[in-house]
Amino acid sequence: MPEFLETRVDKFTFKVAADRYYSSEGVWASPLPQGEGRGVRVRIGVSDFLQQRSGDVAFAEVKPEGTVLAAGDEVAVIETIKVNISLTAPVSGKIVEVNQAIATAPEAINKDPYGEGWLAVIEPGDWETDRARLLDAQAYFTLMKRQAEEESNKR
Amino acid sequence: MSTPTRKVVIVPCSGIGKTYGTVSREAAYEIVENLRSAKTQLVALSWLVLGDEAARAAVADCPAVTLDGCKLACATKMVKESGGTVAQDFAVLDVYRRYRQFKPQGIAELNEGGQKLAHALAEEVATVVDNLTAEHAQGVEKNPSISTNSAVSTVNGAQGGGDA
Repeated sequence: MPEFLETRVDKFTFKVAADRYYSSEGVWASPLPQGEGRGVRVRIGVSDFLQQRSGDVAFAEVKPEGTVLAAGDEVAVIETIKVNISLTAPVSGKIVEVNQAIATAPEAINKDPYGEGWLAVIEPGDWETDRARLLDAQAYFTLMKRQAEEESNKR
Repeated sequence: MSTPTRKVVIVPCSGIGKTYGTVSREAAYEIVENLRSAKTQLVALSWLVLGDEAARAAVADCPAVTLDGCKLACATKMVKESGGTVAQDFAVLDVYRRYRQFKPQGIAELNEGGQKLAHALAEEVATVVDNLTAEHAQGVEKNPSISTNSAVSTVNGAQGGGDA
């Protein structure tokens, strides 16, 4: 179980898993333990703030295994009760695994965004370079809190 | 002698300003007014929230089918808290997942997709209503002492509900 940074804005509580990296749009990247004979693999998913702001997920479609992406390319589309969101890859590389469970049970993205609701595993071309561009949990927490407060002030 | 029927209570979401809530209400109207008018009665969620006696009596005496607009599932929770039995609960989002071609949009007025989704939901509820009333009719035939509910009014009016 990861530890969380947590904040409350208005009536909403948002959690940021402390053990991973984030893009500014709220897609997380978590390096998996390295196995024998293979390099780094990075699991990706959406942050708690992103899933709460987007609403209940009706459908989630992730690019298929084998797709090669540059950081910033569309890696998945999720349709919620409010919006359709194009999610971009936080790292460059090849998709080596897709979470098939979310095709039939996309609610996992809402219920467990840092766990069962993961989207895909990417084999990055250059993890160290990608990691340097991403936000650590504390930096994303600060950004997310500001975004949440701005949204709250709009209401 | 015809078998007396017990009306199934339909309780939709009361979320105003939400597309999925509107879908649930449109579906409820279609069931109660068109598809199964003789077998169903509408109970407004707000009456249950207010503790209205007629509304509480309706859900206490009859099986309820709840139509929830979001995962808060207020309709289902309020029926249970009001002493009722939820025979079947429908979440509009789950129904949409089965009918992706009917993407609902609009709030006061649903788009075509929303209207079709409401119709699809209403058809599913109608099947549940038929099953519930058939089960009840079989029970009455086997045991005539089973009480039958005489509630016939729609418990959503301004007069504090029907005559349940």
